[in-house]
Amino acid sequence: MSSNNTAFPDRPSAFRSQSSRALNGSNDSSPPITTKSSASMASSDPQSSFAVKAGLAQMLKGGVIMDVVNVEQARIAEEAGACAVMALERVPADIRAQGGVARMSDPSMIQDIMRAVTIPVMAKARIGHFVECQILQAIGVDYIDESEVLTPADPTNHVDKNQYNTPFVCGCRNLGEALRRISEGAAMIRTKGEAGTGDVVEAVRHMQTVNAEIARASSASDADLRQMARELECDYALLKETAKLKRLPVVNFAAGGIATPADAALMMQMGCDGVFVGSGIFKSGDAAKRAKAIVQATTHYNDPKVLAEVSIGLGEAMVGINCSGMGEGEKLAKRGW
Amino acid sequence: MINLTVGVLALQGAFVEHLTLLRQAAEELQRRQPLQPNTATATSTSTSTTTTTLGPRQRGSASPSSPASPHTDAKSTADAGTDAAADILPHKPPPRPTPPDLNHSSLSPSPPTISLTTLEVRTPTDLARCDALILPGGESTSISLIAARTGLLEPLRDFVKVLRKPVWGTCAGLILLAESADRSKSTGQELIGGLDVRVQRNYFGRQVESFEAELELSFLGDSGGGPFHSVFIRAPVVAKVLSSPTTTTTTDGGVPPVSHGEGDTVLAPQRQATKAQVEILGRLPGRAKTIKDQTTTAHDLGEDGDIVAVRQGNVFGTAFHPELTGDGRIHAWWLREVLKAKMQTEEE
Repeated sequence: MSSNNTAFPDRPSAFRSQSSRALNGSNDSSPPITTKSSASMASSDPQSSFAVKAGLAQMLKGGVIMDVVNVEQARIAEEAGACAVMALERVPADIRAQGGVARMSDPSMIQDIMRAVTIPVMAKARIGHFVECQILQAIGVDYIDESEVLTPADPTNHVDKNQYNTPFVCGCRNLGEALRRISEGAAMIRTKGEAGTGDVVEAVRHMQTVNAEIARASSASDADLRQMARELECDYALLKETAKLKRLPVVNFAAGGIATPADAALMMQMGCDGVFVGSGIFKSGDAAKRAKAIVQATTHYNDPKVLAEVSIGLGEAMVGINCSGMGEGEKLAKRGW
Repeated sequence: MINLTVGVLALQGAFVEHLTLLRQAAEELQRRQPLQPNTATATSTSTSTTTTTLGPRQRGSASPSSPASPHTDAKSTADAGTDAAADILPHKPPPRPTPPDLNHSSLSPSPPTISLTTLEVRTPTDLARCDALILPGGESTSISLIAARTGLLEPLRDFVKVLRKPVWGTCAGLILLAESADRSKSTGQELIGGLDVRVQRNYFGRQVESFEAELELSFLGDSGGGPFHSVFIRAPVVAKVLSSPTTTTTTDGGVPPVSHGEGDTVLAPQRQATKAQVEILGRLPGRAKTIKDQTTTAHDLGEDGDIVAVRQGNVFGTAFHPELTGDGRIHAWWLREVLKAKMQTEEE
C-alpha cells in the first residue's frame, strides 16, 4: 500500500488524515505524545484505544450536548436532536444559586436516563476524584466530564484519564490547559466558559485564547515552540503536533454560557466542533423549542437566514448573570490546574 | 469531460473526515490505474467545495497551489512546491509515451477526463447538485431529526430510492439507509431506507464496548494493504437481510406515514421496487478478537460473523467508520463504483 495510507494504523490521533501531514511530512523524530498514552493503556485491549475514545467525540461533532437533570428532560433533549446528554443532579445555574458542595450525581438517576434515551449519556465527576470516575465507568456512561462545575476534590491533580476505558472530556481556558488534559488522557476538550451564567463572553474569551495560541504555535520555530511549551506548561511534542494540525488534536466543543441559537452559531463560526448547552435550555421559557432551535443553529451556523428563522419567538431566555459584574472568586472556570 | 459531484451529508457527525478521504481517494484512483494517462489535479479549494480534476496530464495548466488548504493530504502538500497540479502524485509512473492523437477526442476515443467536486450537503439545493452522497457517522437520531426539519428527508428518499444515485452510509448512515431499525428511541425515528435489511442499533453495547478490528474485505480486491483496520463506535450491525426486496411497494408513489414495526423497530417509507439483491460484503470474523469477553467466537455460535458491510444496487453501507482510519481504500473503491454508475447513466 502506498505510503500515505495508514502509515500509523494505531496512532491515537483523532485527526488522522489531516495529521498524517504533520507526522509524515517531516523527519521529526519526536513521537506524538499520545503514543505514550496508548502504550500505557493495555495495548492488547483494543477497546481502550485512544482512537475509539476520540472517535466517539468525532461522531458528536456538529451537534449539541444538553445538560439534563431527569428522564423527562433527557427525552426532550433527544427529541430536539441533541447528539448526547449530560446527566447531572443540578444544572450549573442551580449549583451557583444554591451553593454547597456539588458532587457526582446519584448513579440511579444517571442509569434511568441511560435507559430512557438511545443517544450517548455523559456524566460529571469532580476534578481529581478518581473514584467517582471509577463509579461512572462501572455504570457504563459513554463519556465522563471531569468538570469544574462540581466542587474540585483534589487541590493539585486531575484524574489520570489514561487508566480508564471510558473516554473523558475536560474543560480548558487556554491551550496549555487543553494540552495538559490531553496528555492526561482526555479524548475531547471543551472551553470552560462560565457555566450557569447564560453569558457567552467567557466561552468566547477561552476560544479566542486557544485559537490565538494555536496560531502563534503554528508560526513558531522549533526553539520558540520549546520555549512556548515551557510557558504553557505543556508537553512539547503535543504542542508541536497541534501547531502542525493548526487545531487541537482532539475534538473541541464550546461550553459555559451558551443560551441562544445565535450563541451556538457564534461559537461554531469561531471554529468549535460543537456545543454544550447547560442551564441555557431548561432554565428558559420554552425548553423544547429552544433546544430544537439551538440544534438547527449548530448545523446551519453559517446560514444567517436559518439562524433568523430559528431565533424567532423562542420565549424567555434564561435570566443569566453578567460575568463582568462577577467577583473572580465566583468564577467556576478558575477551578482546574 | 465527466463532471462528478460527490456530497457528504453535513447535518451532524464526522463529515469532514469523509471529505478528506474522498480527496485522498481521488488521488488513489489515479495511482491504482497507472496504465491510463491520468493524474489528479487540484483545481480549486474553498471551505466547503473542492474540485479535483482527474484526466489526461496537462502540464501547462497548473492551477495556483493552495498550501493553506487544511484538507489536502500529506503527500500532495509535501510535493506541491512549484508545480502543485502536475506533481501531486508521490510515486507516479514515468510518463508513458502517448499516441499523438490520444488527447484529441475528435480523432479517437480517449479515456474520459473526470472532474471531481466534493461538497458539504446541508440543504435540498446542495443535494440536487450531487451525483452521489455519503451519509457519515454521527448520531442517527440527530441527523434524522435535523434532516426532517431542514426539509431534506423526502429529497434524500428520492435521491436513494427513486433516482437511485449511489449512496454510502457509515454507522449512523447505515442505520438511516436501512429499511428497518431495531432499538430506536421511544418515539421512533425517521429512516431514509434503500437497503432491504434490518439493522440493530448499538448492537455491541455502549461506548465502553466500542472497539477496533481487522476486517478482510474481499471486494477491495487483491491490491495490497492487507486487512482493513476498522473502528466500531457504538456500532450497529445488519441483524437480518429482509427476505423480499421492496416488491410490495406502493406504486402510486404516495408517502405513507412513519411506519412502526413491532416494539421499538421502525421502518422506512417505501418507494419504487428494486430488482437488486442485498449482497453481504463484509463480516466481523469472530467477536472473540474484538470484544472483552473472549470466551465465545462467532464460529462457536455456528455463525459466519456479524454482517458489517452490505450493498444493494447503488446503496452501500458499513457498520464501521472508514473515515476514522486514514485508510482511503474503501473510498477509492466506492468512487470507482460511483464513476461506473455515472458513466452508465450517461450512456442511457
